Amino acid sequence: MVFNSLTFIVFFACVLGLHSLPLPWTAKKINLLIASYLFYAAWNPPFVILLWISTVVDWYAAQGLVKARRQSSRHAWMLLSVVANLGMLGYFKYGQFLLDNFTALMSAIGIAYHPAHYDIVLPVGISFYTFATMSYTLDVYLRRAAPARNLLDYALFVTFFPHLVAGPIMRPTELVPQFAQPRRASADQLRFGLALMTLGLFNKIVLADSFLSQVAERVYDSDKIPGALDAWAATLAFSGQIFCDFAGYSTTAIGAALCLGFAMPDNFRFPYAAVGFSDFWRRWHITLSSWLRDYLYIPLGGNRHGARRTYLALMCTMLLGGLWHGANWTFVAWGGLHGLYLAVERLLRARFVNYRPGPVVFVLLGLLTYTLVNITWVFFRAKTFSKAWIVLRGMAGQNAAARPILATYSLLSVAAIVGALLVTHWLMRSRTLESLVARAPAAAVSMVWALMAFAIIIAQGSGSAFIYFQF
Amino acid sequence: MLPAVAARGAAPGVDHYARQTAADRPGVAQPVPLRPVPRQPWGPILLGAVALLALLIAGWEGYWRSFGARPGYRNTYGLWAIQRRRIDAGEGNATVLVGASRIYYDIQLPVWERLDGRRPIQLAFEGTSPLPYLEDLAADQKFTGRVLIGVAPDLFFSGYEYRGGAVRYTRKETPSEFIGQRLSMRLIEPYLAFEDGDFSLATVLERQPWPERPGKHVFLDPRKLGYHDADRNSYLWDKVADDPEYHELWQRIWHDNFQPSPDDPTPAQALKTEKEQISRAARVVAKLRAHGVQVLFVRMPSSGEYLQFENAHFPRKRTWDALLAATGAAGIHFEDYPELQGYYLPEWSHMTRPEAERFTAALYGVIEREFWGPNASRPPAAKATAAQ
Repeated sequence: MVFNSLTFIVFFACVLGLHSLPLPWTAKKINLLIASYLFYAAWNPPFVILLWISTVVDWYAAQGLVKARRQSSRHAWMLLSVVANLGMLGYFKYGQFLLDNFTALMSAIGIAYHPAHYDIVLPVGISFYTFATMSYTLDVYLRRAAPARNLLDYALFVTFFPHLVAGPIMRPTELVPQFAQPRRASADQLRFGLALMTLGLFNKIVLADSFLSQVAERVYDSDKIPGALDAWAATLAFSGQIFCDFAGYSTTAIGAALCLGFAMPDNFRFPYAAVGFSDFWRRWHITLSSWLRDYLYIPLGGNRHGARRTYLALMCTMLLGGLWHGANWTFVAWGGLHGLYLAVERLLRARFVNYRPGPVVFVLLGLLTYTLVNITWVFFRAKTFSKAWIVLRGMAGQNAAARPILATYSLLSVAAIVGALLVTHWLMRSRTLESLVARAPAAAVSMVWALMAFAIIIAQGSGSAFIYFQF
Repeated sequence: MLPAVAARGAAPGVDHYARQTAADRPGVAQPVPLRPVPRQPWGPILLGAVALLALLIAGWEGYWRSFGARPGYRNTYGLWAIQRRRIDAGEGNATVLVGASRIYYDIQLPVWERLDGRRPIQLAFEGTSPLPYLEDLAADQKFTGRVLIGVAPDLFFSGYEYRGGAVRYTRKETPSEFIGQRLSMRLIEPYLAFEDGDFSLATVLERQPWPERPGKHVFLDPRKLGYHDADRNSYLWDKVADDPEYHELWQRIWHDNFQPSPDDPTPAQALKTEKEQISRAARVVAKLRAHGVQVLFVRMPSSGEYLQFENAHFPRKRTWDALLAATGAAGIHFEDYPELQGYYLPEWSHMTRPEAERFTAALYGVIEREFWGPNASRPPAAKATAAQ
């Protein structure tokens, strides 16, 4: 189920109620596990089996890793986990994509190959939970972590509903220890957790769904040719939409976990105030970028084997990171552009080691970063390369046949929301939300909370899925 | 997890809640995250927020009630799915209504039920050609009843589908959506007048008189037109007839939407689409008849500027007559029956509730007399093959 639904409100109230009953800790964990399976089954009950497979394979792989005496056995157990998880991901997420590309390749060399069409349904959040379970086996393999002490704790780590379908991508060392001792939220944790959930849902339902998504749709999902204003407005709208949607999900998830007494990691740190792309990736989808760094970039050699190998590792990581987002070459292009940006930044940093920008140049570099990030969003949002080129040409003012697409209201709403988002990110770039809340007068916190909740209610969201559910 | 230092009153610029993330710890096991709670009187804050929220909701509800709104069921795909599943649950021989908004505002299910003894299944959707829904019924062998197909020429022959996704939704409805629909119908929709897409925040803001962007005409967006019961029996909102300003607004909406747009298809494209829709209808009628379904088209009344628009762009001979000829199905055109004329349609397209009740009885009479009654003068041939 999605957080922005009436079903979730009732579900979450029941879970909170059960979790506050005077039951043994093991019973409470079993309750949470069952609730998490119900949460996932509310989309498509049979896909719970995939969760079980992922859970059981990695549980036994980690047990095998601990007991293995020889390095080759350790390799084998690790490979079992990687192959099982990536195999599942590959079949459900990339099966049709691979088949389509194979067919296109055959056609290019003159072989008419017509495979049967497989209507493969993508299990929600499969990319997230396979990465979470793989990090468990890989951490044990890399001797960074001991395996979980019991299957219940491990199964709950994989399935815990706040992070299950769209992250933050948890590491076992972040969550499993929290299941060792009884946990129940304090009154203040519960209230602050509810406030975080309100903030997250405000981002999703009000900003992303009610205002920004339609602007992006009107340009990206239509066959009209956009001019510069429309192409930029739609792309900026999407930059705001995807942030509000995904950061909104993460904030809601963190709030939900906190209401139950659990801590989840930050996933966003005001990314549109980033100066440079390494800074951007330290602020955007932190749990994915750090996962890719720890389990892909570093094993590929990282920066330990000279410049050429570093750039190769960087590009591989970002291209695969792009593909992780979706089975489409446009996502690969998105990742490739980010890899290119990171590589160029690395070159420039090496060339200008002692350069320290002044405040004006610093802000200008930040705006340049945001502009270049927006170029990448075109490939992320467009369903095809041809559409991406049309929008990019529009952004460059090169679409001669363009006619106005967006009305004044749409343009103003994008300017107001994305403008406010940018200003907020810059004001908060070195601060935390908690410090802002702690310094604000209590009456102001109360009023803002009520206004956000009111806006959520009167926005009457349609319960649309979060963008990252598809990944 | 709470930092020892209180943040309020701390030196400006010092963030006592600052913490590392995984981005700061490469290549190591990530520790249990910190999740500090800002030091604030959270109890009073929550109470204040709840009180203010209650006041705001009461004010918003009061505003829309004073506007004339009242609680009603939302015409969602979930509501449609409930009705569609009646066919799977043993009502395969029912009378089903498909079409656009005219067939659900102008045909009153209680009146039909009183005359017929059985309540029809209402599967029409506003602004939408009935063809995708007919195709769904035609593919369902369990459906063997009768289908009354409302024809609004500008939708039927253009193939326009404003709400064309209900079949897909019904097939793919998740358990969460299934439960959510029922929760909303029990906990929210019967009590809150503002719970309506027309009164949502974004819609209200978008409909303000924003200056027009040069080269971009914004067509007036259709407003709230009616109310729906739990079984999708629907009726026109009194305000459309009784509030002169709202009544005039609706006529302006239609008038505005009848103006040419750069997005309009060329006449040749429009003609091609018309023919495609008629062929599509012929195919679907043939399939329906093949499993014993009785099919009847009905051209619902329109008046004023709307009727002029329809006659100009979708002339009867080229559309309605061609449809009946191609499908070989029976049809009722309101202009052919005196008892189906002369109703009051405040915005030229839909009837008020009392008029719709009167119309339903008259239409039912015509249907029984000529098509579906035991002594019908023009009974449809069962299992006939449609003319192609």
